[in-house]
Amino acid sequence: MTREEISELAAAYALGGLEGAERARFEARLRAGDAEVLAALRDFEDTLAGLAAAAPETPPPAVKAALMERIAAAPPAARAPAPVRPLSRRRSAIWPVVLSGAMAAGLAAVVVGWTVSATYEKRLDALARDADQLKAELRRQQAVIGILRDPATQVVALAGLPPAPGARARMMWHPQAGGVFVATGLPAPPEGKAYQLWAIAGSNAPVSAGVFSVDASGTGSLSVRPLHGVAAVSAFAVTLEPAGGLPAPSGEVYLLGKS
Amino acid sequence: MPPAVPGSETFPALIARIASGDRDAFSRFYDLAAPMAFGLIRRVLRDPEAAAEVLQEVFWQVWQEAPQYDPKRGSPEAWLVMRAKTRAIDRLRSMRRRDRTFVAPVDESIARAEDAPAENPAVVAEERGLVQTALAQLPEAQRRVIELAFFEGLTQSEIATRLGEPLGTVKTRARLGLERLRGALRGERVSAT
Repeated sequence: MTREEISELAAAYALGGLEGAERARFEARLRAGDAEVLAALRDFEDTLAGLAAAAPETPPPAVKAALMERIAAAPPAARAPAPVRPLSRRRSAIWPVVLSGAMAAGLAAVVVGWTVSATYEKRLDALARDADQLKAELRRQQAVIGILRDPATQVVALAGLPPAPGARARMMWHPQAGGVFVATGLPAPPEGKAYQLWAIAGSNAPVSAGVFSVDASGTGSLSVRPLHGVAAVSAFAVTLEPAGGLPAPSGEVYLLGKS
Repeated sequence: MPPAVPGSETFPALIARIASGDRDAFSRFYDLAAPMAFGLIRRVLRDPEAAAEVLQEVFWQVWQEAPQYDPKRGSPEAWLVMRAKTRAIDRLRSMRRRDRTFVAPVDESIARAEDAPAENPAVVAEERGLVQTALAQLPEAQRRVIELAFFEGLTQSEIATRLGEPLGTVKTRARLGLERLRGALRGERVSAT
């Protein structure tokens, strides 16, 4: 690698945007302790630290309080994962001072009233959220039923390729209404990765049909909206991509099926 | 660059004490370094509560991983800032996934960051001011690439797509931009070309 190449890879790595084979190659050099690579990366990371330091901001005091509480209970390098303590916004050091003498009773009434109304507000919020979720779910189900009832809907079977030979998937696809995709037998994607479904029409570039993840049993599903500019899909494929997906496939193909 | 503090309170010395379980050292390191980390996290994440949670996770990581800190790999500031950046971007991505909404365009977050006054300008070392000035002086195209990657967590191919530029151009711009910033940090003269 020339110095310029090393500098380019180190810049991308420090910025967090290095992907795929290049990332693996660069990390291998780092692990091997390549002095030139380490020095290039250290330089750029210091530069970015300088950039971050240029705009400091005072954090809320509750963060430090929560941290000091957490570390008091754990020695460093204790590997047990401790959950992030929620930062309570209501707690304040003023209360013990204010809660004194005759004020206490009156205040208690206010607090009770506030607590009761807050409780009801919360319940109403929760019910509204539930209703929204149910409506959205109903719309999804109706869309699925609509697709399944339509004789124009085609069913495409996708078979697992070498990264996941046991994987299987079905795509119920309607060119105007969109489709429903269900996959099983996929391994859980590594941290920062997700599966992406692609629609391929003839010799055109694949078009993203969305990103999905899988549950513990390896099952995942996706509702696909009609794809603009894709008339007759000739195949569907699933690749492993950075979480959030990419505009064009870059990773290994896990599932493939021709319609 | 560590602030001017007594020998036992330089960043590397504090990290070494944290590694041995010294809570006072942790408290001191937090006071000195948290504003820097929080400034960065807030620039990536708009939601103040999410930013506070990420800051807590980052310093929890500092407490746990201090024994593995290797000075040969970089300064404690870089060690901290890279963790803060990674965590903030992870959170940003998971929020994007969950919400399926668009975050504010980068220009808005930049405007915000520049408007926000530093809490204590006295702590901002001179060379840090230089880096920020240098960022503002970078050619627009280089600055965009660095900001999209560092503050929005886009990969180089995502940046190429967003800007409609070839991937090779994005790579070159990232390198040139960072090299120029590095030059500014070392006090080299920054030319505008």
